[in-house]
Amino acid sequence: MPDVKPAMRVIYIPILLLFAAFLFLPLGMLFVRSFETADGINLSNYLTVLSNAELMKSFENSVKISGLTAVITTVLAFFLAYSIHCTRLYRPLKSVIKTGILIPMLLPTITFGFAIIYSFGNQGIITKIFGRNLFDIYGFNGLLIGYVIYTLPSAFLLINNSFKYMDKKFIIVSKLMGDGTIRSFLNTIIRPLSGTLGGAFVLSFILSFTDFGIPASVGGTYSVVATQLYQVMLGSIPDFNNGAVIAILMLIPVVFSVFLLNYLEKLNFHYDKFSDIELTQHKGRDICFGSISLLVLIGMFSVFAVMFIAPFLTSFPYDLSFTLKHFIDTFQSSDLTAVYKNSLFVALMTAVLGTFIAFSSAVLNVRTPLKGKSSMDVISMLTNTVPGMVLGLSYLLLFNGSSWKGTFAIIILCNMVHFFTTPYLMAKNSLSKMNPAWEITGILLGDSWIRTIYRVILPNSASTVIEMFSYYFINSMVTISGIIFLVTAQTTLVASKIKELQHFAKFNEIFILSLLIFFTNLIVKLLCDHYQKRQFKH
Amino acid sequence: MLKLQNISKQFDGKSVLDHINLEIKTGEIVSLLGPSGSGKTTLLHIILGLTGINHGKIIFNDTDLSNVPMKDRGFNIVFQDYALFPHLNAYENIVYGLRNRKGSVSKEELQEYIDFLELTPHLKKRISELSGGQKQRVSIARTLVMKPKILLLDEPLSALDGVIKESIKERIKSIAREFKLTTIIVTHDPEEALTMSDKILIINQGNISQFGSPQEIINQPANDFVKEFILKQLEIKRENIYNLFGEKYA
Ligand SMILES: Nc1ncnc2c1ncn2[C@@H]1O[C@H](COP(=O)(O)OP(=O)(O)OP(=O)(O)O)[C@@H](O)[C@H]1O
Ligand SMILES: [Mg+2]
Repeated sequence: MPDVKPAMRVIYIPILLLFAAFLFLPLGMLFVRSFETADGINLSNYLTVLSNAELMKSFENSVKISGLTAVITTVLAFFLAYSIHCTRLYRPLKSVIKTGILIPMLLPTITFGFAIIYSFGNQGIITKIFGRNLFDIYGFNGLLIGYVIYTLPSAFLLINNSFKYMDKKFIIVSKLMGDGTIRSFLNTIIRPLSGTLGGAFVLSFILSFTDFGIPASVGGTYSVVATQLYQVMLGSIPDFNNGAVIAILMLIPVVFSVFLLNYLEKLNFHYDKFSDIELTQHKGRDICFGSISLLVLIGMFSVFAVMFIAPFLTSFPYDLSFTLKHFIDTFQSSDLTAVYKNSLFVALMTAVLGTFIAFSSAVLNVRTPLKGKSSMDVISMLTNTVPGMVLGLSYLLLFNGSSWKGTFAIIILCNMVHFFTTPYLMAKNSLSKMNPAWEITGILLGDSWIRTIYRVILPNSASTVIEMFSYYFINSMVTISGIIFLVTAQTTLVASKIKELQHFAKFNEIFILSLLIFFTNLIVKLLCDHYQKRQFKH
Repeated sequence: MLKLQNISKQFDGKSVLDHINLEIKTGEIVSLLGPSGSGKTTLLHIILGLTGINHGKIIFNDTDLSNVPMKDRGFNIVFQDYALFPHLNAYENIVYGLRNRKGSVSKEELQEYIDFLELTPHLKKRISELSGGQKQRVSIARTLVMKPKILLLDEPLSALDGVIKESIKERIKSIAREFKLTTIIVTHDPEEALTMSDKILIINQGNISQFGSPQEIINQPANDFVKEFILKQLEIKRENIYNLFGEKYA
């Protein structure tokens, strides 16, 4: 590694300062505020919150429903991944499953709730088809469906990835050794995947536990932590100190889960070599798994179908004639187009700046000899742990009195920090695979260190950088939990606008805005995938 | 002339090189020969300026370079794995450094290097499309256009197969002659060292065992290490070849 510390520090120090100001300071503030009362620093806020039966009930509810979601999601995600890797399903069908299951990632979670209401509610499409209410949608059932749809893509990606790196030759070996179906399945699939399955469970749990969009739309009277926190902070009688306490309490199970995740990581088998093998013919297996996967997929699509249909009908479900009126109205409303532009601006800025920061942090950690460079890993652990709502709330507490309040800058910074971990790890992974002598070579050929990074390291990371950009963009576009405490009338984003429109029951606008987010994300995703593929041809 | 005076190097308190004294004349090819972990790469990196020293002096043409940073020393290295940039093609790799040395190499000179290394047919190829030997020649060309005052090569032959090895050996020799370039080569193969260099520096456990011409090393081994480890290997090789071809080739 080249020894040009001054140039490296020029990047290192501002990044550290950035995280000091927008991660450590706000969290410290949150912590302090949770102890602050009219008569000094003490535990009375905690006592108030812990003795509030309603709040405690909401914690219990959150844990219960998130746990159940995690079980269902993990099982379903396993079925899907198994269908893809261990059956001889028709290949195009596998592609459809693989791509289709990821669609919810392109939408804000608050939209899920409205789609569920419009599908299963009193006037919903699916209710109409069946001729009666299948079940009460507000509250537990609606939340469960929403959470499962929300967490399924992430859990699937995790399990699917592990399947990819699993040595399937062991399936054959186990057969040759005379194992029965069950034993073979347990030994060659479940055991090697146990760490990942545990990981998928924990991940789904954290995601549902900390999500705000779904309970905000379909939660009904079933109260969960996220909605309680929102009410305490922004309800009729805001109480910032109690809000801080709830946020801290929300952090506890998440911190615990992250430790669990790190532990489960160790359970994973690491195959150094893996081989693809021809799977045995087994019609029963294929039909069984194929139909389950298709059912999951169709179930998911049918929930979202309404979003694509309702806005084109005059007055769903009463007048089903086709119309473009709602679209024209929405696009003519300067209010809604302004909100869309805001979202686009925030997502673009987050993607550009976030990618820059995450990439620089990874370069510092992987490709320099700087002392203290592993502080980047600590930061990434922390950003991975802090839920968006907690981060947003801590910003609210810290910046409420300052001129930062109500700016786009603060929203963008919140997103950059909130979604830092994944892009950072992507960059780290790709940078650590590159030849360690490139920087030295660049310097010997007359470039400065920073120019070598620009001329050599960056072009060779192009594909990863595009992936990081796309991740930041899409997540900033759909997040609501991170920004709900930070938006003001001037900085409203699409996701928070949807929450507002809910009060006026303007479902057509809600769906049209959701479609806008969806297609924007889809285009960005397709473009990024396209450019990424081109990069790979090098 | 490159002079190393009393060079010592420790990593975390552990001595890796100890009181190295050495003089290399301009245009000489010198091999650094020694077993794994003996400090060859470390010495090469010290000359390059990549690794600092704890003690001693590096003097090049009467200038003390000990505290001169790597990029200002004017030496250059070809790494064992070539460190070519995969996003650029062969030609773009070769001219990578030219924009930083405007005017130092003319078009004709550039073409001369390319011709000399027989790279013309490969210029448009991506790095992944080049064979090992071709990659190495590109890497050498990229280094030569920077007109280094000393060319350093870390195990240039170890990644190549037999036939290519011989031709690259010849090539390195002729580069040094043609461009009067002081060349220092790391190797752990005695045969390689003795057949391609003017002088050989045998290092063992961070100390110089012997420094001399191939003839001196063969005829007057300085100590048991040189006899046991260096000459022994050559004798075994010779033995094997006798056995294969029979006495008549002796
Ligand atoms: N950066 C470093 N930090 C600590 N120890 C090091 C470092 N670089 C080299 N060493 C140690 O210095 C000693 C000499 O290493 P060096 O790489 O110079 O050996 P070498 O002769 O090139 O061996 P090889 O033939 O295996 O390449 C080894 O014991 C090695 O472990
Ligand atoms: Mg070495």
